Amino acid sequence: MVRSLLMAALAFAVSTAAARAADPRYPNWPCAQAKVPEISLAAVWSGPSLDDAETKWKDDAKVTALVSKLSARKTPMDEAEKSVKEFLAGSAADKTANAKLLFAGLFDTLNAQRSQVMNGLERVSSKQRQAAEKIREETIQLQALQGAASRDDSKVEALSNELIWKTRIFEDRNKVVRFVCEVPTAIDQRLFALGRVIQQEME
Amino acid sequence: MLRMWRIGLLSGLALVAAPAHAFIAYVSNEKSNTVSVIDTESWTVTKTIKVGQRPRGIDFTRDGKFVMVAVGDDDTIQMIDARTQAVVDSLPSGPDPELFAQDAAGKLLYVANENDNTVTVIDLERRTRLGDIQVGVEPEGMTISPDGKTLINTSETTNMAHFIDTASRQIVANVLVDARPRFAEFKHDASEVWVSSEIGGTVSIIDPGKHEVIGKVNFEIPGLRKEAIQPVGIGMTRDDKTAFVALGPANRIAIVDVASRKVTKYLLVGQRVWHMAFTPDEKYLLTTNGVSNDVSVIDVAAQKVIKTIQVGELPWGIAIAP
Repeated sequence: MVRSLLMAALAFAVSTAAARAADPRYPNWPCAQAKVPEISLAAVWSGPSLDDAETKWKDDAKVTALVSKLSARKTPMDEAEKSVKEFLAGSAADKTANAKLLFAGLFDTLNAQRSQVMNGLERVSSKQRQAAEKIREETIQLQALQGAASRDDSKVEALSNELIWKTRIFEDRNKVVRFVCEVPTAIDQRLFALGRVIQQEME
Repeated sequence: MLRMWRIGLLSGLALVAAPAHAFIAYVSNEKSNTVSVIDTESWTVTKTIKVGQRPRGIDFTRDGKFVMVAVGDDDTIQMIDARTQAVVDSLPSGPDPELFAQDAAGKLLYVANENDNTVTVIDLERRTRLGDIQVGVEPEGMTISPDGKTLINTSETTNMAHFIDTASRQIVANVLVDARPRFAEFKHDASEVWVSSEIGGTVSIIDPGKHEVIGKVNFEIPGLRKEAIQPVGIGMTRDDKTAFVALGPANRIAIVDVASRKVTKYLLVGQRVWHMAFTPDEKYLLTTNGVSNDVSVIDVAAQKVIKTIQVGELPWGIAIAP
């Protein structure tokens, strides 16, 4: 039991490291999709230049409130799109200016959110790498203890238990990482979809 | 009355001048485990077919009767009857098939099995497994030379394009390209193989006779981070003059002049554009956009995006009825 679990953990640790040639620029990036550190404006916006909207959106109370509502992942997308349309419909002559302010705010906020998640992922991934290394070392120790001429059963058991525990934590964290890997993509998706609605409303 | 006649005559003429060919496109949606069927006349999704888990590689049999779709997590390739649009059979691939290539005659199918370092060879008429080719590395992109003699398999772990002789089923050459090669495409005249590198951000052009990289296509989009430029799918017009390269999270398709190997234009499509397919008349090019969950329609002659169609979650591959 101990043995098979350990072997599985080892195989897992090794395979996650080797399954994909890591991007040499970001050795701690744990996700399948190649890392894009931040979203470029040109990737999500084909509307008019944002100019000073990039800084001015923070001065507009209505815009900042809407930005924080729309940026929250708990706000469903259809509700978010509806809010964008209502806000711009009520903007009359300021429509283009308001649209630019709103998108500038979303771009800043969602990009910052995304960076935070990505930094967290890389931190955890680096810790996981250390944990895998430790498990590997202790497995070798355990094998040595098991193979020793005067075998100390209590020591063997203590070390096996510790290894089982560490392996479980390692596996659980890996599952979390895989789940969190989808978050930057979800943020990309939200920003692009909202940008598209804003641009449609401007036309 | 006269006016009506004239209108009738005019619309009749228009029909003759531009006959409306309706084609059917099939799109694999990796996350929703479905295939979306798109009618290219109305540009709408006419049916969503439930398939196995994690559908990715998709193509028609050469006779146009079946659509084959690799469902990786079910370790098989399913066959959809194009007439009834229902799954009717499956093919014996290895574990975790990602994509496949078939020979010009449509008799042999080569399947890249992502998880066990093999390429499975399948007899398409008998629907049986003929054998496996040990490629020794995780196979990723795959294409076959127009004469069927060479199979090219790209590997993410070695950063190489491996040339396999289909008769002996042995690797005959390895060509180093840039990081994480994803897709390979032959020119129709077989003089060059284009290999995209997702992390390297380039397309390497290989002379298939000499097994040497003879050129590279580079991409640069003002205002866009280099990391966002991740080339994956490649499509080439039949006259080998123009290539289209999907650039992933750059959300753009690059249009490349094949002779000069230079980008002439970038088209904004949807998010994380992945693969593409031409309509048989080459009037339109359809691209799958994995994050915005849609398909973009490009007018090939005008080099413009004319339509966006929502499909399932994480659209990956696309095939259009011959």
